[in-house]
Amino acid sequence: MRNTVDPTIEAQWARIRGRLKAELGEAAFKSWLKPLTLITIDNGEVRLTVPTRFMRDWVRSHYADRICTLWQAEDKVIARVEIVLQSDMQPVARASTVESVKSARPTAAVVPVGNGKRDGAAGAVVVADVDALSAPLDPRFTFDSFVVGKSNEFAAAAARRVAEEAKVPFNPLYLYGGVGLGKTHLMHAIAWQIRKRHPQRRVVYLTAEKFMYQFIRALRFKDIMSFKEQFRSVDVLMIDDVQFISGKDSTQEEFFHTFNALVDQNKQIVLSADKSPSDLEGLEDRVRSRLGWGLVADIHATTYELRLGILQSKAERMGALIPPKVLEFLAHKITSNVRELEGALNRIVAHSNLVGRPITLESAQEVLHDLLRANDRRVTIEEIQKRVAEHFSIRLADMHSPRRARAVARPRQVAMYLAKQLTARSLPEIGRKFGGRDHTTVMHAVRKIEELRATDSGFSEDIDLLRRMIEA
Amino acid sequence: MPLALGHRPALGRDDFLVAPSNQAAVAWLDLWPRWPGPGLVIFGPPGCGKTHLAEVWRGRSQAIRLAATARHDRADGDVPSLLGAATALIVEDCDRALDDHRLLHLFNLLTGRGGYVLLTAAAPATRWAVSLPDLRSRLLALPAVEVGPPDDTLLEAVLVKMFADRQLRVAPDLVTYLLSRLERSFAGMGRAVDALDAAALAARRPITIPLAREVLHDDGH
Repeated sequence: MRNTVDPTIEAQWARIRGRLKAELGEAAFKSWLKPLTLITIDNGEVRLTVPTRFMRDWVRSHYADRICTLWQAEDKVIARVEIVLQSDMQPVARASTVESVKSARPTAAVVPVGNGKRDGAAGAVVVADVDALSAPLDPRFTFDSFVVGKSNEFAAAAARRVAEEAKVPFNPLYLYGGVGLGKTHLMHAIAWQIRKRHPQRRVVYLTAEKFMYQFIRALRFKDIMSFKEQFRSVDVLMIDDVQFISGKDSTQEEFFHTFNALVDQNKQIVLSADKSPSDLEGLEDRVRSRLGWGLVADIHATTYELRLGILQSKAERMGALIPPKVLEFLAHKITSNVRELEGALNRIVAHSNLVGRPITLESAQEVLHDLLRANDRRVTIEEIQKRVAEHFSIRLADMHSPRRARAVARPRQVAMYLAKQLTARSLPEIGRKFGGRDHTTVMHAVRKIEELRATDSGFSEDIDLLRRMIEA
Repeated sequence: MPLALGHRPALGRDDFLVAPSNQAAVAWLDLWPRWPGPGLVIFGPPGCGKTHLAEVWRGRSQAIRLAATARHDRADGDVPSLLGAATALIVEDCDRALDDHRLLHLFNLLTGRGGYVLLTAAAPATRWAVSLPDLRSRLLALPAVEVGPPDDTLLEAVLVKMFADRQLRVAPDLVTYLLSRLERSFAGMGRAVDALDAAALAARRPITIPLAREVLHDDGH
């Protein structure tokens, strides 16, 4: 739409903007007039758009008349200035940003679930399940996408055997390990694989808490018989996070009966938990011993090599260009578990797409600063004064002193500037903390530093560095 | 005596002001539902506009809101029925009090149906009091975006909007006057606008710099 405006009109508009800036001052111009976009001139009416409704009302009531007067001075035929909402003019918006990030979350072969209100292609990751009893499976969690290393190879091998053999190799298969190490991934992978290889077998996967809620609901609706029938007619029962059954007696009892009935019928059971059967608390001994009857496989904490391998594999699947240094940095820094590691990678990639800049070590650190910073807290003015004084090698007392020598005045201005940037204190309050100065002194300091930053890039970098040090 | 008449702030996307301090958060919300995970954490100081952002998202996602902890005066135990058929959920103030088990179950139910959760707090998730490791790792794996303390452009716009929400017209020079004297947070400005509105009503005077000077007890400092 913009290109319908011809160059002479563009030039008029530029002159008018220059006038407005001179008349209203930098701040008001930046807030209210800079965001205006010239759309058309038609029949003596100038149309300008603004991004928000609120802005439209403000500009209309405060500046529209002045703009009109200025315009008439340029061109006599102009009779009116109309301020309209951008969204009313351009119903299509932001498509490019959204498209570019699509790759961050796979959308292949998915069916939307839920209330159906959602846009189908939009990215529901979960496949609607054929079996009402079963929780949906995540299509990303397959054996192909599971990266094997020393710490998980035994569990992975056991999972594959259960998934691929026609008869039950061991019962139950009990997988355990700390959070976020891939138990759920292996569970889903088993379920996918069995459904692929043996589609006639009825596989039910659900979390222990869902089992519990189903059971409580059955109790409430006096529907225990059909609950029992449903669960006892499955071929493969997979229950994730069984530690959540502990302590809940009636649920535990029902789980125990279901378990026994399925084992008696030679049906496969796969369980996961955060601890070994003997370490699970709040379980009856008879239940505990049953859980350890089959094969117990643990997943250990990841090694650096495995973490790096996981990141490389995931980066490749996402089709994202990530420097090896960044992957090494993540593998080195985020050691807690795989879920958080992958979450960090997702974040970096999505952020890079959002801002349209490539991923670098610096940008990764910036994006993840809340995760990497172990104990962050609110920055205080006192802290800012202390760090700035150290940085410029002046005495802390000079922050409050009346001395005006450049060597102390400039650092003081930097500290005031940072106090305004990093805290919510009012300007008079900031002034008071700097030896009882007036708020106009603070405003002057802020303006001065902003000017210097605009003209001196070395100084500007120095301030950014200081800011990072204070925030770190 | 003037009555404290309630006023409802306008909270639509068009009423939302995008500024450097919140543009990253707005970009993340605009990205939905193509988030790279089943949710998003927005954190930033009180009064930086988190609730407003959450409201904007609620308008698009039809999310329901639940508190981070169960209310004791209600039978809140049945998590699935709390969630109903919702596929989007907002939980605010997660760094205050958090019921681990409740949130974990909500989280799992939502992700199980391809849903999304938006969590807000003053502090990042690393500092929430989460003792359940299962929940902790899920929260830390979510993308998180910080909303900074509001910058001048945003403060000015929001201050004017606060007056506008009350059908009050104020002159630009009053706005400039207030901006250089008020606490630079939305919460602080909200309190000041309340006080000014009440004082103007009580004294039957328009809101002007002399009135503001009296209300703020501004003695030149």
